[in-house]
Amino acid sequence: MAAPHPVITSSDPLDPRPLIEGKQTDQTINDSLLEHVWRGAGKGWWALFGVALSALGLLVIAISYTLYKGIGSWGNNIPVGWAFGIINFVWWIGIGHAGTLISAILLLLQQKWRTSINRFAEAMTLFAVICALLFPLLHTGRPWFAAYWLMPYPSVQGIWPQFKSPLTWDVFAVSTYFTISLLFWFLGLVPDLAALRDSSKSPSKRFVYGIFALGWRGSGRHWAEYKWAYVLLAGLSTPLVLSVHTIVSFDFATSVIPGWHTTIFPPYFVAGAVFSGFAMVVTWMIPAREFLGLKHVVTPKHIEMMCKVMLATGMIVTYGYVMEHFIAWYSGDPYEFAQFFLVRQRGPMSGVYWLMIFCNCVVPQIFWSKRGRTNLPVVWIAAILINVGMWCERFNIIVTSLHRDFLPSKWENYAPTWVDISLFIGTIGLFSTLFLLFLKFVPAVAVTEVKELRHELEHAKHGAGHAGGEGHA
Amino acid sequence: MSESVFVPRRFVIAQFADSDALLAGTRKLREAGNKNLDTHTPYPIHGLEEALGLGRPKIPTLVLLGAIAGACIAYGMIYYMNVIDFPINVANRPPHSPPTNIPITFELAVLLGGTSSFFGFFTLARLPKPYHPVFEADFFARASIDGFFLSIEVPTGGDVEKVAADVRGAGAVEVQTVAESER
Repeated sequence: MAAPHPVITSSDPLDPRPLIEGKQTDQTINDSLLEHVWRGAGKGWWALFGVALSALGLLVIAISYTLYKGIGSWGNNIPVGWAFGIINFVWWIGIGHAGTLISAILLLLQQKWRTSINRFAEAMTLFAVICALLFPLLHTGRPWFAAYWLMPYPSVQGIWPQFKSPLTWDVFAVSTYFTISLLFWFLGLVPDLAALRDSSKSPSKRFVYGIFALGWRGSGRHWAEYKWAYVLLAGLSTPLVLSVHTIVSFDFATSVIPGWHTTIFPPYFVAGAVFSGFAMVVTWMIPAREFLGLKHVVTPKHIEMMCKVMLATGMIVTYGYVMEHFIAWYSGDPYEFAQFFLVRQRGPMSGVYWLMIFCNCVVPQIFWSKRGRTNLPVVWIAAILINVGMWCERFNIIVTSLHRDFLPSKWENYAPTWVDISLFIGTIGLFSTLFLLFLKFVPAVAVTEVKELRHELEHAKHGAGHAGGEGHA
Repeated sequence: MSESVFVPRRFVIAQFADSDALLAGTRKLREAGNKNLDTHTPYPIHGLEEALGLGRPKIPTLVLLGAIAGACIAYGMIYYMNVIDFPINVANRPPHSPPTNIPITFELAVLLGGTSSFFGFFTLARLPKPYHPVFEADFFARASIDGFFLSIEVPTGGDVEKVAADVRGAGAVEVQTVAESER
């Protein structure tokens, strides 16, 4: 037979670079991927955690002030009735979508490279959706009443939510999205928690991880059902993720505001969501693989694949922009035309428009070049710019469209207040805090799935090595 | 029967060298007529369902039923609230407007389908179950790391030593016998 630990290579003959680097066994994968959980928090982690916690403190202050004063403390007012609250909601939801795309759609498409990054991206989804949910809740002004405004709860008033409104659809879409993402993430995590339990050095850690591992014992009878439960959750998440941003785009597309009333919104929102989500994954993954010792499972090949996805979705987003402008001209509607060709390009908010065009249409073009895709600092900066660009896109859609609608007498400029800005920075703090805690207590890479991938690749190699022998198909 | 007397369940637990040995060993032991066979592996091994002689998985049916129930509940809920309980005339739109019901119907189908998958799995697997006799074997911790294990529950009155010998004969590297501890 072959050597006991062959070097694992990709099964793709066109791209021989490995998905898992070095000579690995289940034991070495287990040790190296769990190592960052056992290692005590370093200075760098504490420094980042401190920054994140202070931003989280800002969030607490901003939320308290909003609840005390009311949402009059925010910058939005008629005609700009929606501003930072909805921009940030759409932005965060969009960021979450990459996690579901990586974990679900790439699983169904059997893209093996997803295995090293899915856990990380799924966690990102959860935290991004938590940040997103804060905004519409606070935007209701009285979140403690939101239960019967949003959910069909049989209150004594006998009134129900308006089911013909996309805002009500949003409530169902986003809460379903959060629930399913959480279940999917936890289901994938259970075998890893068992691995954590069984590699614990101290009884207290063993006890805590043991509770979360739910007594998992890797039973073959369990795996048989587990595989189906996992793949069906993936199968359900796939149309779900498409539906969520479609429904978010309906919030705009079903209205009559010039700049909102377009049929291209659903696919263009979904592509934009994936675009920004991948950018966020890359933004966090590049430093994380460096500092958590994940370089052997998150290889330059993974980063390059993500760059290709960003390039593709960036081109779809660009196509969306082109089509919006084309239809604004082709429809002959003077308001649409004025919105796209005068207000956005030359109006008071035109800086945001051109920044969006630069970040979302120009920056990703660097990923055509292999050198661009493999130079990590370049990729990292490009990913941050894409996140900025996607935030600008939502600003453009929401604020720029609202501040110049049909009647010039209604035109008004918009400026965010310190509360708006603090809430935004605060949610970045919340996201970072949760993410840093995740990186500290849970393996950042799906250990079980990487072991399975290693096993699969090794068997594929053996099978190719002695054709005609007993196959493992 | 004898509810007051604790009769510990006894297990033979064996480690195999690799997944192929485990597959072959499992098949051999099942064909030899052993009941209550189970395997314990750090990740799913292709072919183990067949080696263990498991039937069709039940999860897909559960998820389908969950999704259908979700869709029916959602549509029924919207219909009841908008048509029967509290119809509101908004710009003369019909109280029952099927296209506007699609998103929520879809979302609840996914929600109930997904939760059926998750909770259905844990119900079928009888988890959470923090204690199981197989954890008594001191080498069993490797089952979630890199070990390929097989366990057989020996029926009351069965000969543990005979089963252990059979398991050794099926290619196991190391065999231990454990008994459930009383709690």
